[in-house]
Amino acid sequence: MERVKTGISGLDEMLGGGFLPETANLVEGAPGTGKTTLGMQFIYNGIVQHNEPGLIITFEEFPKQYYHDAANFGWDLVDLEKKGLLKVIMTSPEVSRQGVQSVGGLISEYIHSMGARRIVVDSITHFARLTQDPIQLRSLEFDFINALKREQLTCLFTRESPVLMGEATEDSGIGFIVDSYLVMRYVEIESAIKKALFVLKMRGSNHAKDIRQYNITATGIEVQSRFEGQEGILSGNPRRMADSFVEAFVKR
Amino acid sequence: MASNGDDFTARLMDDMDPVLLDFVKTRVNSFIKWDLVRFFHENPNTADSVENIAHYAGRNASAVAPELEDLVNSGIMEKRMQGDTPIYSLTQNEDMRKLIDEFITACEDRHFRVKAVYHIIRGMR
Repeated sequence: MERVKTGISGLDEMLGGGFLPETANLVEGAPGTGKTTLGMQFIYNGIVQHNEPGLIITFEEFPKQYYHDAANFGWDLVDLEKKGLLKVIMTSPEVSRQGVQSVGGLISEYIHSMGARRIVVDSITHFARLTQDPIQLRSLEFDFINALKREQLTCLFTRESPVLMGEATEDSGIGFIVDSYLVMRYVEIESAIKKALFVLKMRGSNHAKDIRQYNITATGIEVQSRFEGQEGILSGNPRRMADSFVEAFVKR
Repeated sequence: MASNGDDFTARLMDDMDPVLLDFVKTRVNSFIKWDLVRFFHENPNTADSVENIAHYAGRNASAVAPELEDLVNSGIMEKRMQGDTPIYSLTQNEDMRKLIDEFITACEDRHFRVKAVYHIIRGMR
């Protein structure tokens, strides 16, 4: 099946070749794990490697910051905007929701005028501003996601995780709505903070089941090898497998 | 003498590109408008309600609303209704965007900024 490649070293292989077309994909992580970088890289690579125009919708960070941060990776977003291949749109959840769900809405107009194929929404967490009712929130997110899919976009939503390490708590059920769910985590290994990435789910496709280390390099995110000889990665405090073996069997 | 001094100051302060002088006198004739123009120049695809734009600009919605309307009337901003909510965004007009670029570039020069501030303050009297 055709795949929408992220162009991120190591990630497409984890995803069985890339995201499935016209799907909603969630990337969850704590502050600084690289969610926004991953999103920008997905859009940038889509434009320069696959000629697929893209949109970035931001609810909090100013576009100016995106241009600046992207330039540090060698991605000239301003130039792509001038060429009509990209728009970094600052707006609010309520406006973006109406802008894509109503006929002739602003976001829909941008999508059609540019021929956009990819979109990043950074971050879907801000939809919580619209309601405190979790059932209504799930419904709002579901409608928004479906409206973007109707526009034949491959969507990437970032989501803020409130915990730096260890298990995160599900709070809106969006994990059930999306087609794939990637998690970015900090882990402590031998007194150093490292970053881990895994694919929690990918509807309709096989995907890597292991937890992999990644780095944010001068050219963007690079996914590396799996964590060897460690267990309990998701707890944030993994142990060497030999240690846990000793603890479980030898000390008794 | 004072009158001659005022004339001299006025001539000195008018010493800028006439197109930009007109832009400052008739379009960006308040500090809030100046802030808004700079914000939308830096974030050109922002599209939002008065309340949210005021929030981004760190100002009160009641102060920003009339200024946004003035910017719409002068062709710098566009307004569209989304349901019952007016949504403001930067104009798509290429000539106007070029003029805004020129204004922001000119503002990098301290002397230009001093002159622009002078005209805004005079306009507010």
